[in-house]
Amino acid sequence: MIYDIVLRIAYTYASPASGGRHLVRLMPADLPGEQRLIAGHLDITPAPSERTDRSDFFGNRATDFAFRGAFDDVALRVQARVERRGASPPGPSTPRADLAADLAASRSLTADAPGHFLAPSPLVPHDSAMLAYAEAATGAQMTALQAVVAIGEALHHDMRYDPDATEVDTPMREAFNARHGVCQDFSHIMIACLRGLGIPAGYVSGLLRTIPPPGKPRLEGADAMHAWVRAWCGKHAGWIEYDPTNSITVGENHIVVARGRDYSDVSPIRGVLRVSGHQTGLHSVDVIPLDA
Amino acid sequence: MPRAQPRPAKGRLFASYRPLPGVPDELVAPDGTMRPAWAGIIAHLEALSPQDIGRNIARGEQYLRDAGVFFRTYGAGQSERDWPFSPLPILLPEAEWAQITDGLSERADLLEAVVADLYGENRLVADGHLPAALIAENPEWLRPVVGITPRSGHFLHFLAFEIGRGPDGRWWVLGDRTQAPSGAGFALENRVAATRVFSEIYGQSNVHRLAGFFRAFRDALNGLQADASVRAGAKVGILTPGPMTDTYYEHAYIARYLGLTLLEGGDLTVEDGALKVRTVSGPAPIDVLWRRLDAAWADPLELDDTSRIGTPGLLSALRAGTVTLVNALGVGVLESQAMLAFLPGIAEVLNGRPLKLPNIATWWCGQKAELNHVRAHAAGMLIGPAMATRLPFETNDTHALAGQLRGCDQSLDDWLVANGPVLVGQELVTLSTTPVWQDGALVPRPMTIRVFLARTPQGWQVMPGGFARIGTSADTTAIAMQQGSTVADVWIVADTPVRDETMLAAPTQAFARAEPGALPSRAADNLYWLGRYIERTEGLLRLTRAYNARRNEAGNDALRGLIAKELGRYGLDPAEPLPHGLIRSLGYAVNAASRIRDRFSVDGWAALADLEKSIARMAQTVTAGDDAALAMGILLRKVAGFSGLVHENMYRATGWRFLTIGRSLERAAAMAGLLATLTDPKAPGGSLDLAIEIGDSIMTHRQRYAVLASRETVTDLLALDVQNPRAILFHLTEIRDQADLLTEFTRKGQLTEFARRVVAVQTSIALHSPETLSPAALRRLKADILALSDVLSDAYML
Repeated sequence: MIYDIVLRIAYTYASPASGGRHLVRLMPADLPGEQRLIAGHLDITPAPSERTDRSDFFGNRATDFAFRGAFDDVALRVQARVERRGASPPGPSTPRADLAADLAASRSLTADAPGHFLAPSPLVPHDSAMLAYAEAATGAQMTALQAVVAIGEALHHDMRYDPDATEVDTPMREAFNARHGVCQDFSHIMIACLRGLGIPAGYVSGLLRTIPPPGKPRLEGADAMHAWVRAWCGKHAGWIEYDPTNSITVGENHIVVARGRDYSDVSPIRGVLRVSGHQTGLHSVDVIPLDA
Repeated sequence: MPRAQPRPAKGRLFASYRPLPGVPDELVAPDGTMRPAWAGIIAHLEALSPQDIGRNIARGEQYLRDAGVFFRTYGAGQSERDWPFSPLPILLPEAEWAQITDGLSERADLLEAVVADLYGENRLVADGHLPAALIAENPEWLRPVVGITPRSGHFLHFLAFEIGRGPDGRWWVLGDRTQAPSGAGFALENRVAATRVFSEIYGQSNVHRLAGFFRAFRDALNGLQADASVRAGAKVGILTPGPMTDTYYEHAYIARYLGLTLLEGGDLTVEDGALKVRTVSGPAPIDVLWRRLDAAWADPLELDDTSRIGTPGLLSALRAGTVTLVNALGVGVLESQAMLAFLPGIAEVLNGRPLKLPNIATWWCGQKAELNHVRAHAAGMLIGPAMATRLPFETNDTHALAGQLRGCDQSLDDWLVANGPVLVGQELVTLSTTPVWQDGALVPRPMTIRVFLARTPQGWQVMPGGFARIGTSADTTAIAMQQGSTVADVWIVADTPVRDETMLAAPTQAFARAEPGALPSRAADNLYWLGRYIERTEGLLRLTRAYNARRNEAGNDALRGLIAKELGRYGLDPAEPLPHGLIRSLGYAVNAASRIRDRFSVDGWAALADLEKSIARMAQTVTAGDDAALAMGILLRKVAGFSGLVHENMYRATGWRFLTIGRSLERAAAMAGLLATLTDPKAPGGSLDLAIEIGDSIMTHRQRYAVLASRETVTDLLALDVQNPRAILFHLTEIRDQADLLTEFTRKGQLTEFARRVVAVQTSIALHSPETLSPAALRRLKADILALSDVLSDAYML
């Protein structure tokens, strides 16, 4: 499926903001075999005094930019054309009990190495309540992949999707206790559950197809940037991606922007442009199939 | 017949010294004889009476107090603590030190090779010499730094190692300090204090000097500048987390000693990939930073985004290759306890031979065989977090000591099996003892030595001694050191006289007067506010004195009410004999001064600290009325003492101008406000005399006017007299002069908005006569003067 994507983010400040340096990760990823970025550019208004496009440790496209003078508004606009294939079916998943041996055999620290995704990360600390939840939702005989699906379905069943319930900086524990939240909360909680069981798990930020295919329901989270989970299911199965907010395996309706250990590795915007205080923000996403 | 004071019998100190059985001792060799390096110092001590020794020790302690050496302690009521100095140094012979030096230089090279691999090719992990998980799970392995090659070609430039002597008499490495090793500056202070205590013999004791090490390191830092043509050190700074860090004193001290600028993250900015210092002359390039700030805080944009003490964009400057950090970001990964388990093996692979100096035996419990070894030998081990960079006691982590699990209710074995991959077991280390002076005798105490290494173009330079930690009890297990320790100098003793070293350039070098570097805006801001708060404190002292002097006079109610109202504007309650607001105002001054300690003389700081102590003490004892008035007089003289020190000693560079502008601006504004009140026709009787009193101008008024005070004479003397250092015009003229000089030196003559506004305000008052300068005009003037503050800030502080 080929998509035309337009992502707009704009901030207006009550009093002029001055200077500042920012780091954004908004450009869809180019993932051989899964997703091809045919064309894409990021426009920043007003034109920054400095701009560098690069890739970060996890291979995500990152743009650094800085302003010198004062300004009232900032607008970011990503326009991209992306070809998305569903992930090819995974190899056989390793049983949970044998995953540790697969992990120990991995002698790598490259971006995709599972070793990065097992330890607590800045926004996903170890949590014994989530571990207990994960153990209750899974069986010891399951494969890693079966455990991923079981936890994802359990969370989708037990947690209420509520776009207004949490903020970007609400700790996952709070969302878990109240059993509600947005895609970021669903994803962080699922990552904590999986890591607790010894299954390496990471965070994916991305976009959803705006209008569903005929006869299919509209997915939650399509009107803004979305997030889901990737989990390492052993040396043969490798990484698989799962969307706990919608309780589905990720396929060609999900467009990957960035991958990391948790939100802090992929935050779309870092710097003084964060949404807080006296500013108003606009955030819109259009993901339209080319042949629709 | 009265007996003479008994002199110590020759050899008594040594003869009565009892090392612990089975524990190596620094003074006594295994055969019971004295180690030769100690002969001179012990003979010296034995020739003195205990009283003499006590007096000599007091000289060293006095030095440390006068120098204001302190470190900050955390926990209940953060406070500055005196440096816990143990006066008797540890003496080691040159030949033994050479072996330590050799072993540590080898280890430094090994650490460099390991960290370069961890941020580069990762061969050690790929080849199985380091488990991937140990690196991936290490919070100090900083992913955003992976792939950035240091501009200098090296990650490590300055290191410290903690070493101790084991039961077999050999030296062991107990810990590697790579992130931001502290203590080198304290070593210098130890040395000065120790030479005060042993001034009679130090010069003849063949002790290797420390200055040569610092000179070599300073030259190495200067040599890391990209542009060899700029003045040595012009683009080199020390990056500190700021005054709230435990070793800030040392940062300020060493900045002064090496002649480097002390910078905080907020002083720096990145423009087009280049690192710059925000200065009053605009952004000034800098490209070498001795980093004393933990890496995670260094760049909120790419590292910990909650950091308020970092520099956004620092990593982009590193990627652009425009700056060298000493040490590079990310080298903290080497400090984890788990690394100690793998370094010996890596050394054999990379060097083809075992380490010359072994490190404390360590097993990572993430491997089956190692886990089982630790389970079997837990009784002789300290078991704690694998990623810790400090011993578990210091962090309250769950740990097991000699078979006892603390902080967890599982059985030790269950805990080990359940948590293997995050734990390491370490052999319980026992240390050698060294004599310390206690109650007139020498007693053995355990010790470790911290050794500092600096990379120079000629290889690693090792600081010859300087810093040891000594346990406060006879318990020789290394971990007992956490219960509290003192710090002593370490003397490396040569067989023949050593060269005298100094930081000063050799006289053969060409003489050049270095231009002072541009003043960082933060320093300018703090100097300006120091000036304002000191002046404000003085003004408030005068008002409070005036109030208390009139407290018991009848018929002065209206005037007292007026003063009370004036004090109330600054939040002072005159009902308090020593109003709390006074202490607060002085506290602001001290706070501003503490942020620029590197720019202060020791005397200036001592005067300010003394003032703060006096005011706190008086707050407990002073009673209202004459007693309070008297106390204010004492405090006023102490303020004058501080101001005098500053005035007499401070170099007339840019910083001085900001301090002066702060003082003059505060005094001019306060006087304008006071005159507006006291020269008002509706003001109560005695107001004009009060103005003259607070203006400290009673005599001058009498001499110049020879009449009773009138609105005109008071206004003339305290507002319009350009010769009177209490008058508004005097201070506006001072500000104008300083503004002109600032323009000349920082803006190459281009007028700033500040300079223009100063001229306007100064001119506006100069055109007045006593008759036209009404209370309303004075109030407008006060507002105009205070408004200059923001304009100054816009021009120089952003």
